[in-house]
Amino acid sequence: MSAMFSQNPLMNGPNYSFNQAPSTAAAGNKEHGFYPYTDNGGSTLAISGSDFTIVAGDTRSTSGYNINTRYSPKVFKIGGTTSSQDDATLVLSVVGFAADGEALKERLDAIVKMYRYQHGKPMSVKACAQRLSTILYGKRFFPYYVTAILGGLDEEGNGAVYSYDPVGSYEREQCRAAGAAASLIMPFLDNQVNYKNQYIPGSGVGHALVEREKIPLGRTEVEDVVKDAFDSAVERHIEVGDGLQMFVITKSGIEEKYLPLKRD
Amino acid sequence: MPGFDFSNHTRNAALHARGVPLPKATSTGTTIVGCIFDGGVVIAADTRATSGPIVADKNCEKLHYIAPQIWCAGAGTAADTEFTTALISSQLELHSLSTGRKPRVVTCMTMLKQHLFRHQGHIGAYLVVAGVDPTGVGLFTVHAHGSTDKLPYVTMGSGSLAAMSVFETQWKATMTEQEAVTLASNAIQAGIFNDLGSGSNVDVAIITKDKTTLKRGYVKPNERSKKQKSYVFKRGTTAVLNEKIITKEEISKYVTVHELEGGETAVGEKMDIDA
Amino acid sequence: MEFGTSGMLNEDGIHVDMDRLKKGEVNLGTSIMAINFKDGVILGADSRTTTGAYIANRVTDKLTQVHDTIWCCRSGSAADTQAVADMVHQNLGMYGIMNGRPPTTQTAAALFQELCYENKDRLSAGLIIAGWDERHGGQVYSIPLGGSLHKQSYAIGGSGSTYIYGYCDANWKEGMDEEAAVNFVKGALQEAIKWDGSSGGVIRMVVLTKKGANRHLYLPDTQYAVRHE
Repeated sequence: MSAMFSQNPLMNGPNYSFNQAPSTAAAGNKEHGFYPYTDNGGSTLAISGSDFTIVAGDTRSTSGYNINTRYSPKVFKIGGTTSSQDDATLVLSVVGFAADGEALKERLDAIVKMYRYQHGKPMSVKACAQRLSTILYGKRFFPYYVTAILGGLDEEGNGAVYSYDPVGSYEREQCRAAGAAASLIMPFLDNQVNYKNQYIPGSGVGHALVEREKIPLGRTEVEDVVKDAFDSAVERHIEVGDGLQMFVITKSGIEEKYLPLKRD
Repeated sequence: MPGFDFSNHTRNAALHARGVPLPKATSTGTTIVGCIFDGGVVIAADTRATSGPIVADKNCEKLHYIAPQIWCAGAGTAADTEFTTALISSQLELHSLSTGRKPRVVTCMTMLKQHLFRHQGHIGAYLVVAGVDPTGVGLFTVHAHGSTDKLPYVTMGSGSLAAMSVFETQWKATMTEQEAVTLASNAIQAGIFNDLGSGSNVDVAIITKDKTTLKRGYVKPNERSKKQKSYVFKRGTTAVLNEKIITKEEISKYVTVHELEGGETAVGEKMDIDA
Repeated sequence: MEFGTSGMLNEDGIHVDMDRLKKGEVNLGTSIMAINFKDGVILGADSRTTTGAYIANRVTDKLTQVHDTIWCCRSGSAADTQAVADMVHQNLGMYGIMNGRPPTTQTAAALFQELCYENKDRLSAGLIIAGWDERHGGQVYSIPLGGSLHKQSYAIGGSGSTYIYGYCDANWKEGMDEEAAVNFVKGALQEAIKWDGSSGGVIRMVVLTKKGANRHLYLPDTQYAVRHE
């Protein structure tokens, strides 16, 4: 006589998911299928500077209203010669379904390593970016359920950020936020990194205003923006929190930083 | 007919069946608890309100007044807990006035369960009812469908499992007021930190024979850290595309304009603004 | 009405599924029983209340008094059975006052049946009514899901009852003394609790005789051997 699962929304966790399909089945038979995807929440973000790139992500992993772990990295060094990845030059962040993220990271890492052995030089971000797109599209009809961001330095030594959709559409950008709190963080980035909607006071009337001059942010300023972005996301999004992992990619190597976030 | 209007129910059901997502009510995906001690009862709640995965209110009140010596902690749909407790509070006061007796916790619980049962679970109020009346101390849970339980310690909401694990390991049959308050607060904090639907602060209400003490923000374990940068914009940074000046005379056609007397300052809710 | 899809009436309009709890409802996935014995009746129940896999109450009292010596065992939806029992409780109270004598168990059972039958499409309540009155002595009635009424020498109900049909059939004896009757109920409920995942906790019993109601409580800590309270 007992129902297997409570229909009490409070006990089943949040009533939202990737597909906002109606939860009460329409007339007809109730399907009982296998769901290969889970949303593990969390958020990532990457910003490129003139001679550096910062890729960051929170370390919380969730399912429903539960925390799986407070430390599960979403940002990874890619293509180093050893397992410690000390000499890596690329960073990949993945957010969405954690198992697919892990699989994608492993696969890209293996490919970039093979490239180094075969060509005797590290892979460029541009080449890696194209390759990652190919990998994602290769699973067009059973996608890796992740939003990936690739960070590194381009051939000129400038910061480079490439962002992807789950099936491999990609573009190079100045900055990008992905994951659960992307819609909260991205407008903040537009405003603070690209100075969108900021004009020089008194420089004109109506549409004739002069936009604020676009000065590329320095490394410490970007780190501050990233910290503030995540602190704010934690305030308003329940799936973001616990820890902030930051990778700073410069020509002298990749520096890792970890900062605690609120745990509620 | 007074009461609820169900005329849109069939339309909404039809739309929903065709895949239109229904609007999301603010849910207090919550942790609420209650615990009896020697001479009284304590109830506690977290202060997070959510709408889907978004935090709608970081410091909402989930402890509701019913009568001076009867309080209610609410989980479920925010509006339902708010209106249901207000309705029963009103009825109970009238009942108390007409009988000339102090309101009882069982009376309150019975009125709540009959109201919720009548609406067959459509009113999504999950409540912890607590109080002290002439018959003694009372502590109950009331589910949205109208079932009730009477227990010495109770938890409800999405964080109820986390909170109950604290009670099941630390609860004692005899406790002082301070011991019970600490235990209830720890149970709420278990919800705050382990359940995503719960967060922010701990509110506590202590009810004894003589008085009720409401401790809003009893524990604040989640204060926001200072921002790294200042986000103050120079005046005029935002483009003004057009401008229209409305005079006081014009606007007083639509709203009542109240002139402040000399020295009187305007009273309104304070908003946090960056320095 | 939000019933589970499996719980709707079939096209033939006759079949009623067992799994007809409304969404999110608190469930008494129960083991309940009541028996006749030499001096009256005994009601027995486990104490588990669940919402899905979570035990919402591990010391529930499913034995509810509706008059001095008329009680009932509740199974199914907690909300529905509490509402029905509360209504009958009120009705019998009025009946006793108006007629100047206590109602019979049969009257109580008829009242329960009225509610359960007339609202069969809205209720998920499986009840066992047992009582003692001056005219008939001890009596046991069972009201399963559809709202029919059955007078029995003993009745078992709830999800756990399926495991103890054999036990009860093998061990049942008419006109047991109180000790044997208590042991029969306890033995049966122990088996039901052992095999049914939705049943558990303590064993509660109410012994109804000429002398009135007498409560028993047995805890799992002592393998239900010692009587508490």
